Formats: sequence, C-alpha cells, structure tokens
Amino acid sequence: MLTPKRPEMTAHGGAALIARTPARRVYKGERSLRMSVVVGIVVLNVLLLVIPIGIAFVGSFHQWNPLNGTFNYLGLDNYTQLLGDARFWTATANTGIFGVVVITLRVALGLALAYAVWSKMTRFKTFFRTLFYMPTVTPLVAVAYVWKLMYHPQVGAINSIFGFDVNWLFDSQFALPAIMLMTVWKDFGYAVILFLAGLYSLPEDALEAAGVDGASAWQRFRLIVLPLLRPMMLFVVVTSIISYLQAFVQVMVLTKGGPGTSTSIISYLVYEEAFVKYNFGYASAIAFVLLILTALLTLVSFKMSGGRKLFGKGA
Amino acid sequence: MKTKAQSILLNVALLVVGLLTVFPFVWMVLSAFKSNAEINSLDQTFFPREWTFDNFISMQQNFDFARLMANSVVLSVTITAISIYTSCLAGFVLAKYTFRGRGFLFGFVLSTMMVPWAVTIIPRYTMFTEVGLQGSYASLIIPAILSGFGIFMMRQNMSAVPDEVLEAARLDGASEIFIFHRIVMPMSVNAISALAIFQFLWVWEDYLWPYLMINDPSKQVLAVGLTTFSGRYATDFGGLFAATTISIIPVIVVYVIFQRRFIAGAASAAVKG
Repeated sequence: MLTPKRPEMTAHGGAALIARTPARRVYKGERSLRMSVVVGIVVLNVLLLVIPIGIAFVGSFHQWNPLNGTFNYLGLDNYTQLLGDARFWTATANTGIFGVVVITLRVALGLALAYAVWSKMTRFKTFFRTLFYMPTVTPLVAVAYVWKLMYHPQVGAINSIFGFDVNWLFDSQFALPAIMLMTVWKDFGYAVILFLAGLYSLPEDALEAAGVDGASAWQRFRLIVLPLLRPMMLFVVVTSIISYLQAFVQVMVLTKGGPGTSTSIISYLVYEEAFVKYNFGYASAIAFVLLILTALLTLVSFKMSGGRKLFGKGA
Repeated sequence: MKTKAQSILLNVALLVVGLLTVFPFVWMVLSAFKSNAEINSLDQTFFPREWTFDNFISMQQNFDFARLMANSVVLSVTITAISIYTSCLAGFVLAKYTFRGRGFLFGFVLSTMMVPWAVTIIPRYTMFTEVGLQGSYASLIIPAILSGFGIFMMRQNMSAVPDEVLEAARLDGASEIFIFHRIVMPMSVNAISALAIFQFLWVWEDYLWPYLMINDPSKQVLAVGLTTFSGRYATDFGGLFAATTISIIPVIVVYVIFQRRFIAGAASAAVKG
C-alpha cells in the first residue's frame, strides 16, 4: 500500500499483469481451488447478503410485522414517516456527533501515541504497545459493563476518584459523551498499531535528509511524516466510519438510548423498531437509509484521497 | 541534558496514558474480590480490604456461567477455525491466480464489508426462522463461514509471498493444494494469528444475533448471558464484576502471550499489497 516503496503494487500494476499474461498455463489443481473459492464467495454472499438486502428493500415499502404475519404494501409511506419522525433525526444527529468526535479523537490520539512510541527517546516500546492495544482485544459487551460500573454514581470509580457528583448515564447532558469516551478508550489502540506500522515503513532517507536540513521535530512531523501517513489515515477513517455508523452494543448496554432519546443512534433505533416493536418494514426503511449513508460517506472519503491505492490492485 | 529530560517526560507521559488504559481492567478484577457490602460502602478503597471469592461462587450458583463459557469457547473456536481456513483459501486464490473477474470478485468482497448489520439482520432473522434453523448452532455458524475482512486481510498478506517460491515448488512437482497448505499458509502465520484473535473476539462478543437465534438458556453464549445476568441481578455488583472478569481475562491472557506475533499481523492488512 505504501506507494513510495512499492510502486508496482497499484491498481494499474494489476491491470498490466493481466494484460501481459493472456494465456498462461493452468497449474495442477488450480482450477478446482479457484472454482470452489469463486462459487463459495458468490453462493454464500448471494444467500446471506444479496437476497437479504433485496428482502429488506422490498420490506421497506411494506407494513411488515412477523408476529401477526402482516405484509401490506404501503408504497413510500415508511420513508415519508421517517422524514417526519423526530426520533430518526435525533438518532441521525447523535450518530453524526458520535462519529465525528470519536473518529477525530481516535485518529489524534492514535497518531500522537504512535509517534511517541516510535520516537527514539522512548524505551519499553513493546510494553507500551501492549498496554494501548489491550482494550481493542477485549470483548465489547463485557467491557461496556465494566464502564457502566465505572460510571455508576455510587459504586463507580470515576466519581469516587475525581470527586464528581454526576449520574453520568442518566443525565442527558453527559450520557452521550460518556459513551463516546468509552468508545475512544476501546478503539484508540488499533489506530496506534496501524500508525506505528505506517511509521516503521517510512523511507529512512527522507527522514534523515530532513534532519540534516535542520528541520525542527514539529516541522519534520508536519511536512514529512504526516503526508506519508495519509494512506494509513484514510484507512483508519474509512474503517472507523463504517464501524461507528453501526455502533450498537455500547448504547444497548450503557443507556438503551436514554435518557429520553439523548443517546439513541441510528443502529439502535433499527434494533428498537425491529426487535422491540417488531415494525420490520419501518426498521428496514431506516436500515436502508443507513446503508446509503455508509456507501456515500465511504465513497466520498475514497474520492477525496485516492483510495484505489489503499486497497491495492483490483479494488 | 535537554534531550534526557525530554525523554523522561515522554516516557512518563506514555506511562500515565498506559496506566489510564489498563485502569478499568485492574479496577474490575480487584472489585470482583470485594464483598458487595464493601463495594456499596461510601468509603472506597482501591484494593479489597478483605479478599473474597464469594462473588464467583454465588455467580456460578445463581447463573451457570461455566456452561455459558463452555458454549462460547466451543462456538468461538469452531467458527474461528472455519473462517480462518476459508479466508486463507480465498485470499490465496485472489492473490496468486490471475483469472477473469478476479478484480470484480475482490471488489465485491470489499464492498460486503461495508454493509451494516442493521440492513441484513431483519431478513436473515426471517429466513433463518423460516427454514427452522432458529435454536441451533448452525444458525450462528453459517453466517460466519465467510469473513470479508478475513479474505481482504489474507489476500493482502499472501500477495507479499514471492511468486518465485511458488514456481520453485511447482518445478518440484508440488500440487497447488500442497503449495497452499504447506508453503503459503505457514508463511502467513503472523497474519493468521492476528486474524484468529480478531475472529475469536468477534464471535465471543457477538450479542444481537445469538440473542435472536438461541432461545434455550443452557445453549446461550456468554455475551448474551452477561446481559441476562445484569438484568436479573441488577444490584449484585460483585457478581457483575466477577462475571465480566471471567469473560475478559482469558482473552487478555491469550493476547499477552501472542502479542508480538499478533501486533505484527494486525497491521499487515493495511500495509502490504
């Protein structure tokens, strides 16, 4: 992916490779391997993804309740209802705030800590890396319960250590920030590891040249390191957008969308409509808006920074 | 001397962030050994005044956690093994053979990673209930056979295996399946370890799908068990500390043992290719 080092590994490189070898010999046993993979990918994805998306799309135009077996055509009613539904707009706004804040903090913290660990002045690099990455490899449901206890007004560690008197998860002012803080804590480590990997694959000579030129540490970071880390930054941002638009478990465990609707996010709203109220049709309509939102945001971030290079040839 | 001071400052700052990062885990483990009376008392101490195993005992007696844990282990290991193998196989084919439609197929696999669970879960729920898979572990295994992320990661990784290595083996008469199992897979062991931990974790923490599919409490998985437990024994904080401790600590232990290999592999999806 790091183009300075591997210029041949781009989308164009892949196309050229195919063009150069039009009739290559088929290896012993290649055909069956290839067929099983192609058929496996196509069949499973059609069954588990393409058909379900189709059903969700059709379902979003229906009044659909599996408990009493209703499936009545409504036309665009679910979508017009959605546009007038204050809970949907609150959830969208909350998802936006959640995403922007968590992604910004994750990238900033990840970059700063990776740069600090990478620095020649840092000892015990492995130790720090191991610590920072620990929350990432722990199960979210269990971790969310630990944080629920941390935020607890009586038994929680946060109030007792800092001397606050706040009921974090039951105060509409603090509940969403509390969930965001927990999410940043859980996920910043992955960004640290990715940025570290990016830093270790930087071309040494560019950094040394900067040192000879007498650039300050900050200039070196801003003018040389940061531009070279752009592809990694894009990778972190794109994967974060995709996963935070779907965030659900932390809300489910910590607040169930409350107090009021102050922590309701889109995915939680889908869950509530689908599996608490069994409005499958309406829930599908919301989910479809979420799918389009995800696709658009991913596309925009790709277009903005040449994402084809990021995922290598064939993407 | 200036750099010496800077170096100390930097290391201390990192240590502070590191301690803040692990604090919730340490606090959780220590609290699991406190009695409920002590947890609820106004005068809090970091270490238990009196160490007790009561939380673990009562939690096991009220709520068969050992059973849920065993279910989760069996399921997570099975699903991880299956999806690792399919990811390697698909990654190998997409990385090492050129054929018509390869680019399209890889693009398709990438795009599957983007589809939110919220879109597919309703139709999947309907489909799986319709064909009578609800209640069986097959309903949890089938959707996890293929992992878009796994295929992506293994393809990126296996692209880095030099073609010359494969050619040399072919000259020696090795079949493709032999090359895949005995040469390419062993060369990808870092990426496989990283993927293994990720996949294991994803199954281990998956909440909504098992909650929808498994009705029998004795077949339920740990993640769902935790929410049931906290719903039923809402004021048993000691029990909840003990329950979260036993669902987190095994994962941390595995991670710390394999962390070197794992961290090397975890970033490889984004770096190679």
